[in-house]
Amino acid sequence: MADPIALAVREQFHSPEQQRETSTVGMWIFLITEVMLFGGLFTAFSVYRMSHPAGFDQGSADMEFWLGAINTAVLICSSFTMAMAVHSAEVGKNGKLALFLTLTILIGLVFLAIKFTEYYLHYHDQKLPGILFHDTSPDAAYVQMFFIFYFLMTGLHALHMLIGEGILCTMLFRTFLGSFSEHYHTPIELAGLYWHFVDTVWVFLFAIFYIPGAHMK
Amino acid sequence: MSQSTVSARTYLFTLLALLALTLLTSLLALVDLGRFSFVAGVAIAAVKASLIACIFMHALYETKLIRVVMTGGVIWFLILISLTLGDYLTRGWMPFPGK
Repeated sequence: MADPIALAVREQFHSPEQQRETSTVGMWIFLITEVMLFGGLFTAFSVYRMSHPAGFDQGSADMEFWLGAINTAVLICSSFTMAMAVHSAEVGKNGKLALFLTLTILIGLVFLAIKFTEYYLHYHDQKLPGILFHDTSPDAAYVQMFFIFYFLMTGLHALHMLIGEGILCTMLFRTFLGSFSEHYHTPIELAGLYWHFVDTVWVFLFAIFYIPGAHMK
Repeated sequence: MSQSTVSARTYLFTLLALLALTLLTSLLALVDLGRFSFVAGVAIAAVKASLIACIFMHALYETKLIRVVMTGGVIWFLILISLTLGDYLTRGWMPFPGK
């Protein structure tokens, strides 16, 4: 019978460890480009927030604060189930791996459902910048600017969530095909890194959009 | 390689810590801290992000090469934001005629 470890190593690598490290470094380099993508937006947000604090605080007060807080907890729970999926893959329990991947996908969908409910409420409050925006306060222009950042950044984040859902569905499918074992589960680890990264971005989005104006309601 | 990098117990405690920090930051948000509410929110978010990176993303357990790559990413982002804010924050500190 063929050795499963030897089978999993491609010819340019010396060992499974080296192969795994190479993939992980590649994933982290990709995640750093994502850090710079979101980082540029965070920097732009900070600059405009500093220039127009009153309008940005007022925009923040229009957030659905508790939906945002619940969504943060929801996404953290999905990160936990994802971590448990990686854990199950490492110890070679494919049944548990499939279970935790499914849970992660479902909790991710709950997050998106709450997020789109919020978008609907903003539509209802006439807070869609450039399309349907109603605000009579003196700082209306900067409230609108706050909402431009809000929709751009949470929208980009939601897009990442959708891509993540696609990746996790692929991983679930491959788990059913029997692609993973305790000797080879790098794709699960890398999907986990992506999912946790998207979670981390949300933690900061919650902090900059929802928290500053929460006490003003 | 049939051993797990991090135990399920550690993951569970990390989850509880993250949920507790979320509750803390949400309750703090209801108090008017003036301009510090933004700073406090981002500071707690940074603690949560470090927990996620260190435990969930295995930053503490990875090889040196991978840790250098991660640290490089963080430093690169800090250069981006600190130099930009360093410019905008210090504008107007010195009065220039005609500006």
